[in-house]
Amino acid sequence: MKVSHYSFIAAGVFLLALPLNGATAAEIRVGYTQDASTLDPANHRSRISEGIIRNMYDGILARDDQMLVWPELAESFEQLDEVTYEVKLREGVLFHDGTEMTAEDVKFTFDRLTKEGAMGGETSPRQSLLGPLEETSIIDAYTLRFKLANAWPVFPRMLPFQEVVSKAFVEKVGTEGLATQVNGNGPFKLVEWRQGDSIIMERFDDYYGGAEGIAPVQAAQVDRVIFKIIPESASRVAALLAGEVDLINELPVHAMARVENNPGTKVLKTLGTRSFFILLNNTQPPFDDVRVRKAANHAVDRQIIIDRILNGLAVPINGILSPQSFGYNPDLPVYSHDPEKARQLLAEAGYPDGVDVVLDAETEFKDLAEAIAASMNSSGFRAKVRLWERNALRAHWDPKKPKEREMYFSSWGSGALDPAGIFMPVLRSDARGNRSGYSNAEVDRLLDGANAEPDQDVRSQMYQDAQVIVNDEAPLIFLWLPQDIYGANSRLQGWMPSGRGIIKLHDAYLE
Amino acid sequence: MQLRTLIERILQLIPVLLGISIIVFAMITLTPGDPVEIMLGDQISTPEQEAALRRDMGLDLPVHERFFRFLSNALVGDFGNSFFHRRPVSDLILERLPATIELTLVAMLIAIGTAVPLGVVAAVKKGTLIDRIATVASIFGVSLPGFWFGLLLIMLFAVHWHILPVAGRIGYDFEVPKVTYLLLIDTILAGRLDSFLDALGHLILPAVTLGLPMGAILMRVTRTSMLEVLDQDYIAFAAAKGLGRMRILIRHALTNALIPTVTVAALETGSLLGGNMIVETIFGWPGLGRLVVEAIFSRNYPIIQTAVLLYAVTYVLLNFAADIVYTLLNPRVKL
Repeated sequence: MKVSHYSFIAAGVFLLALPLNGATAAEIRVGYTQDASTLDPANHRSRISEGIIRNMYDGILARDDQMLVWPELAESFEQLDEVTYEVKLREGVLFHDGTEMTAEDVKFTFDRLTKEGAMGGETSPRQSLLGPLEETSIIDAYTLRFKLANAWPVFPRMLPFQEVVSKAFVEKVGTEGLATQVNGNGPFKLVEWRQGDSIIMERFDDYYGGAEGIAPVQAAQVDRVIFKIIPESASRVAALLAGEVDLINELPVHAMARVENNPGTKVLKTLGTRSFFILLNNTQPPFDDVRVRKAANHAVDRQIIIDRILNGLAVPINGILSPQSFGYNPDLPVYSHDPEKARQLLAEAGYPDGVDVVLDAETEFKDLAEAIAASMNSSGFRAKVRLWERNALRAHWDPKKPKEREMYFSSWGSGALDPAGIFMPVLRSDARGNRSGYSNAEVDRLLDGANAEPDQDVRSQMYQDAQVIVNDEAPLIFLWLPQDIYGANSRLQGWMPSGRGIIKLHDAYLE
Repeated sequence: MQLRTLIERILQLIPVLLGISIIVFAMITLTPGDPVEIMLGDQISTPEQEAALRRDMGLDLPVHERFFRFLSNALVGDFGNSFFHRRPVSDLILERLPATIELTLVAMLIAIGTAVPLGVVAAVKKGTLIDRIATVASIFGVSLPGFWFGLLLIMLFAVHWHILPVAGRIGYDFEVPKVTYLLLIDTILAGRLDSFLDALGHLILPAVTLGLPMGAILMRVTRTSMLEVLDQDYIAFAAAKGLGRMRILIRHALTNALIPTVTVAALETGSLLGGNMIVETIFGWPGLGRLVVEAIFSRNYPIIQTAVLLYAVTYVLLNFAADIVYTLLNPRVKL
C-alpha cells in the first residue's frame, strides 16, 4: 500500500515536470469515427479496427500509398507453384516485449486465423479472407510455406489484411486477453485503451523500420499517437479546427471549404476503393428488360451530380471496378447522359409514356438519391425516393430471397483492389452480394475461371472480357468511385491518405 | 419505511424485467437486419464462414431457444458475448457505465440546481421581468434540439474561444487512479486539482446540453406548484402569524411545492438516459448511450438486450427513490 502510494506521488511529480502543452510534445492526435471493436488482429471484420491495430502490429506483406504490395515482416515472398508460397522472414524483428519474432509466431498466427475453433473455441471472422489457405508449415526458424487447397491467385493481395501476433503472448493472455492487450511488432506500443474515448500509443524504440520497399525505413517519428474517438462529423471537424486533433477521417464534403479556408488546417484526399452504383432488380419488370436498364444508365447525369454534390471528388465508372483495380478495363463504352435516347429505349421496351419506379436509399445518401431521381425524371422515368435505415433496407434486398423492390442506391468496397473482392460477390449468379439478381452464364464462367487462373495476364483478360458483357447488359446503373477525404493540421507531414483507408502514422510528424 | 415495502418493491421488479425481456426479444427478432451479414460486410467470404459466425453468435438456434438461453444465463449474471467486440457484454457495459453515470449526475445537479431556485423566484416575482425571462428561457430550454445546442456550444466554447475541449472525458497528460471510476471524484481523491479541472472542463458542455431540457421542465413545474402553494390558506396564516418571509417560502411553501418537482425529476432522469445517446455522440463521451446506439445500428443483440434491462431497472429504482423522497417531504404519505 505504502509503496504504491509513494510511487504514485513520484509519478505525479514526474508527470508535472513534463511539458503539458500538446504543441511542443511530439504527438499526433487523430479524430477517428469509431472505436476499435477489439485490438485482437484476428477477431474482427472491421476496417476501422484494422486502421488502429495496424499501428501496433505489422503484417507479412503491406501496401504502400500507391496500393502496391511489398514484403513487410517478410524479407521475400515468392510463389513456388500454383498453390504454394514461400516466405522468408526478416531476422531480428522484435515484439514490444523484446522477444524475437520467428516462423513459430507466423505459423501460430495463420493457424489461429484459419483453423476451425482456433480462437478459444470460436473461429476467426477473418478466416475466409485467406480463402483456401490450408496449411502453414515451418521450413526453418525464418522460413515458412503457405499451402492452398486450390489455386487462388488473389492470395498475395489478401495478405496485407493480416497482422502477426506473438505465440507466447497469446498463449499467456488467451484470446480474451488479446482483445485489450497488445504485444505487437509494429511501430507503436499500446499505452492505454480508454474504451469509447481514445487509444493512446507510444513509439516502440526497437522497431525494425517497416517494409524495406516503402521508404523511409525508420522507427516512428513521434513519441505518441492518440486515436480519439469522435463519431459525430461536425464535432470531428470542430476538434480539428480547435486544434484538438491533427488529423480526422471522413471529412464531410460540405465541411471541406471550412477546413481549407481555416489557417492551420488542410484537406487531404485520395481515390477510395468503394464503387457506387444503383442496383436494379433484374428479375422483375421493368428492369428485367435490358433496354430499360440501358435507358436508366442514359438517364442519370452522373457528371453534374459529381460536380454539384460531391464537389467534383469522384470519378465516373462504367463498370463496377476501380480504375486502380487489377483487371480494370479502361476501354468500356460510356453511357452518356442522353434523355432522348433513354426515352426512345423506354418506348422500345413498351413504356412510351414513361415508367414509375422507386429508388431505395439509406438516409445518409438522401441528397444523392434525390439528385439521381430528379435526373431520371427528365428522361422518361417517374422516380420516387424512399429512405430507409441501412440494415432494414438490406434485408429487403437479401440476395437469398426473392426480390420485390426496384432500385437501390448502393455500393461495395474492395480494399484488395482485385475483382475477386467485388466483381465476384456482386455480379456472379447467386453470389453473396448479388442483390440485383443478375445472372449470366458467360460472366459466371469467366469469373470462376479467373478466380483460379494462375497466369495473371490470362486472368486479367478474363476479367476485362467479363466487364464488357456486364457493361453491355447494364445490370446496374454505373455511378462513380468517390475520393476519401481527410482533414489535417497543415503541419502534418509524412502521412498521405491512400485507398487502404488506414491511418498508419509510422512516418508521420508535425513540422 | 418498512422492510416489507422494500421487499415488495424488489419483487415487483421480476415481472417488469421478464416482460421487458420478452418485448425486447420480440422487437429484435422482428427488426430486419442480420448481424452476420453486417459483420462480414463487403469483404470476401464463404458460406462456411457465415455458418461459423452464426454458430459463434448463437444465431443458429431457433428464437425460443435463444430466448431461454439468454434468460437462464442472465439469471446467473452471464449476458453473453457482444457479437462484434467478441467479449462479454457485462465487461463492455461496466467499462462504459461510469462515464454515463457521471454525466447524468452532473446534468441532474445542473438542472435541479438552476431550476428550483429559478422556479421559486419566478413564482414569487410572478408577472415581473424576472418571471418573464425565466419563462422564455424555459421555453427555449425545452424546445432547443440537444443536437443543435450541443454543436452550438462546441462552436462557441471550443472553436471560437478555445476555452473548453470538444470531446473526450479527460486530457492525456495524467493518469487518474481508478477508485470510484467517476473522474471528478477520483481526481479529488488523488489530490490533483489540475486533473479535476481538466475533467470538469470536459464534462461541462455535455452536462449542460443534457441537463438543459430537464432544467427547463423542472423550472416550470416548480414555478407552477409554488404558485399553487403560495395561494393556500396556510401560507396566509403563516404570514398572519408574523413568520419571516424566507421562512415561509422555504419551510412552508417550498417543501410542499417540491413534491411534483421530485416526481417529474425522477421521470426526467429516465429520459436523460435517452438524451445521453445524442449527447455522448456529439461530445465523443465514452458512455453507455453511444455503445447502445452503435449496438442498435449493428444489430448487436446481446448488448441491446442487456442495456434495455439495465435501463428498466434504473427506471424502476428511480421511481422508488422518488417515492421515498415524498415520504420525507410529506409525512402524510406512507409507502
